[in-house]
Amino acid sequence: MSDVLLRVRDLTKRFTTRGPYRRKNEFTAVDGVSFDVRLGETLAVVGESGCGKSTSARIVAKLMEPTSGTLEFDGEDITHAAGARLARYRAKVQVVFQDPFSSLNPRHTVERILMAPLDYQGIAPKGGRRAYTRELMERVGLNPDHAHRYPAQFSGGQAQRIGIARALAVDPKLVICDEAVSALDVSVQAQIIELLRRLQRESGFSYIFIAHDLAVVRQLAQRVAVMNKGKIVEQGPCEEVFKAPGDPYTKTLLAAIPRINPEWDRRRRAAR
Amino acid sequence: MSELLVVEDLTVTFPTTRGPVDVVKDVSFTVGRNETVGIVGESGSGKSMTSLAVMGLLPPGATTRGSIRLDGVELLGRPDREMRRVRGEQASMIFQDPLSSLNPYYTVGLQIEEMYRAHRRCSRKEARRVVVEALTQVGIPEPERRAGYYPHQFSGGQRQRVMIAMALVCSPALLIADEPTTALDVTVQAQILGLLAGLQRETGTGMVFVTHDLAVISSIATRVLVMCRGEQVEYGDAEQVFAAPRHDYTRMLLESIPRIDDEVVL
Repeated sequence: MSDVLLRVRDLTKRFTTRGPYRRKNEFTAVDGVSFDVRLGETLAVVGESGCGKSTSARIVAKLMEPTSGTLEFDGEDITHAAGARLARYRAKVQVVFQDPFSSLNPRHTVERILMAPLDYQGIAPKGGRRAYTRELMERVGLNPDHAHRYPAQFSGGQAQRIGIARALAVDPKLVICDEAVSALDVSVQAQIIELLRRLQRESGFSYIFIAHDLAVVRQLAQRVAVMNKGKIVEQGPCEEVFKAPGDPYTKTLLAAIPRINPEWDRRRRAAR
Repeated sequence: MSELLVVEDLTVTFPTTRGPVDVVKDVSFTVGRNETVGIVGESGSGKSMTSLAVMGLLPPGATTRGSIRLDGVELLGRPDREMRRVRGEQASMIFQDPLSSLNPYYTVGLQIEEMYRAHRRCSRKEARRVVVEALTQVGIPEPERRAGYYPHQFSGGQRQRVMIAMALVCSPALLIADEPTTALDVTVQAQILGLLAGLQRETGTGMVFVTHDLAVISSIATRVLVMCRGEQVEYGDAEQVFAAPRHDYTRMLLESIPRIDDEVVL
């Protein structure tokens, strides 16, 4: 299909660790993973800790080399892209990380943080740095007058907005969110989810949304891939996977999610 | 129901450079035997400070007002020497991160044994028997052998089981669980919640369950205390708090939670 933005095929990542007596231990973190991300859609990759979801994301973001497999972006094989080709790829693919504070340089102002991807690309923003910073900050719901503050002067939710604004600076086609809302309180989390949805509606880019929380995924993704022990055990449209899971692991995962008594929910909503 | 824990107008104050700050303000609740009270709130709401106050484990410098009575006996103002007898014996606590609560240099068996022998006069042989029994109770397979393992040799869920075994080894009347499942995967979380509920049925322990996760609270607590900025926003039966919240903050919190079963229009 022509509307496929990212095509991942047979992605495998093995880690080798050395045990005592120089014994070699091999661990396959990602084991033959294949998926497509279409233009403008959100693909969620879910699973429990150690299932390989973050490793997959890191490989797609080119922060890590795969042991084998291929990545194709916009019809171009970028599995081994380096130098100028890699830089071009990075102008189209951006990452938002889980912990906003450890992913923002504490000694840089918001303006410098937001302009960093452009500086790396050697692009001068239209209308100047100050104006472009203000525009980005407004888009993510931050007060543009705070462009000269430092990350520590913001709350967790605001800092995550800075991380999102930085990802948007180069006008990417794909944004990878690695547990981007997991560390936030529920009320803040709801706001960031809404922000992510709005930005996608406005700009039409795709998301790969890595998460362990399936309820959050339900709010954001059209398609979901469920990972367990390095493999994708099931993938498909969210509605199908959540309503009628085909794989036993997906069933276990869905059943384990704590739920508020639906009867209580119904009564509360009715009373409003 | 005879009340096991009665907290009345508890206020916890910290001195800061800008003057004293109340991190917990006039909080009152009770816990009966065999009952679980959930304390929920977002980060910084004072939920952990409330539970630490009950255990007499507040950081140095904190001052308290009000009253905390366990089995009719006032805990606030008790000297540390006496609180040490209370902790473990009458009230125990488990935390979010079992790895940082366990000593990496000692086997888990030794650590549980130490806890038991700090409160009970008995032979080491007797203590070892109790340790194996405690590990069996929390569902650790091959307890005799696993008692000789170090904390890093267990998975996250099993480590939390070890912490629960240690907390319950002296059969305390009250267990305070502070975000005990937050760091765990959902499937493991479900197992630990099931374990706690089962142990409570067997032993009749009163439980205070502190968490930011309202869905977890709704599955385990009979009564719920909602906190925000150190204040008690709402306190009542779980059904009332979830089905007919009286306070806007509780309502907002409930509406913020993404639901797995809800239809979503993207």
